[in-house]
Amino acid sequence: MTDKDNLQTTFSDDRLLEHLFGEAARQEIADNGFSDRVMQRIAGMEAPAPSMVSCNAATQRLTRLWTLFCVAVGALLFYFVNGWEMLKGSLHVLFSSVATSLEVFLTTAPTVELRLNPVAVLLLLVFLLVVLPYQTYRRLSEAL
Amino acid sequence: MAEKSDIELVTRVAVMGNKQAFDQLVRKYQSPVRRFFLNLTLGDGQLSDDLAQDTFIKAYLNIGKFRGLSSFSTWLFRIAYNVHYDYRRKMRNEVVKMRNEELEMRNDDCPTSADGSAASAYGSADAAFSSNPHSSFLIPHSSFKIDFYQALSLLKEEERTCVTLQLIDGQPIDKISNITGMPQNTVKSHLRRGKEKLADYLKRNGYDR
Repeated sequence: MTDKDNLQTTFSDDRLLEHLFGEAARQEIADNGFSDRVMQRIAGMEAPAPSMVSCNAATQRLTRLWTLFCVAVGALLFYFVNGWEMLKGSLHVLFSSVATSLEVFLTTAPTVELRLNPVAVLLLLVFLLVVLPYQTYRRLSEAL
Repeated sequence: MAEKSDIELVTRVAVMGNKQAFDQLVRKYQSPVRRFFLNLTLGDGQLSDDLAQDTFIKAYLNIGKFRGLSSFSTWLFRIAYNVHYDYRRKMRNEVVKMRNEELEMRNDDCPTSADGSAASAYGSADAAFSSNPHSSFLIPHSSFKIDFYQALSLLKEEERTCVTLQLIDGQPIDKISNITGMPQNTVKSHLRRGKEKLADYLKRNGYDR
């Protein structure tokens, strides 16, 4: 048999098999409670470890060491650059500016005319009281 | 609810332990996985369902190891292939053990070599599959009424796996190679030999007319 004959035979064999096995390929197997049985077995099991935690022990140890190292460096820097004084100064400036703004607002409030669009206010309220809680609830219920 | 992608569902299971997401994956893939096992076990429905259950449970327990390098279906079929491989090995060992016990009990005068025992034990496992009461199952509504599993029973295990994955599950050669862990050329050889055997059987039974 020549190569050409071989090729023709293989081609016709493939077509024959595809034709006959095609029907089996399209056959869908009805669930008939199979998925429920699998889920019942799974229900008694603990959830698989999250993929972040499923790394090996050595990697976990290295991660912890790296975190400790970063915390230590941060603490030393905080000490050497006199971090507490800086933090105190920043908080003082923040509180003073808020207090000043509040004082100015309260002093000038009776003379300030606020122009509010009722439609915009209504939309904002709908968003805050309906859409936002609904979306949060939907996402949480999907996640849990 | 819109159908979610496999990756999204896998992420929900792996990160949040969301069992509902896994339920969706099971419902989506139960048919191809059970069909794969039905073909490998030559139509043993009970055994196929047991192996398919084991596959999904292994997938659930190891879902954190899925890295998305291949599609979820390829990963799942790889687990299914390994589950079947382990089952075959266990069966073979049990057959060998039983045979040895039988030989010891009978105190046979004609000792069989270890290799011979293993080979015949493997044959016995195949025979167990072939003599399965469901093996004469015919594809429903088939106009040809092929004795489908009879044809598949002529193939070796690897040939059957490759042929089933290609002809029935429509997997390309590179994916079959991923699933079975065999090199692509080996897959091609198994496919060629398997198809030749099937075509011969079908022609002998007049299906080419």
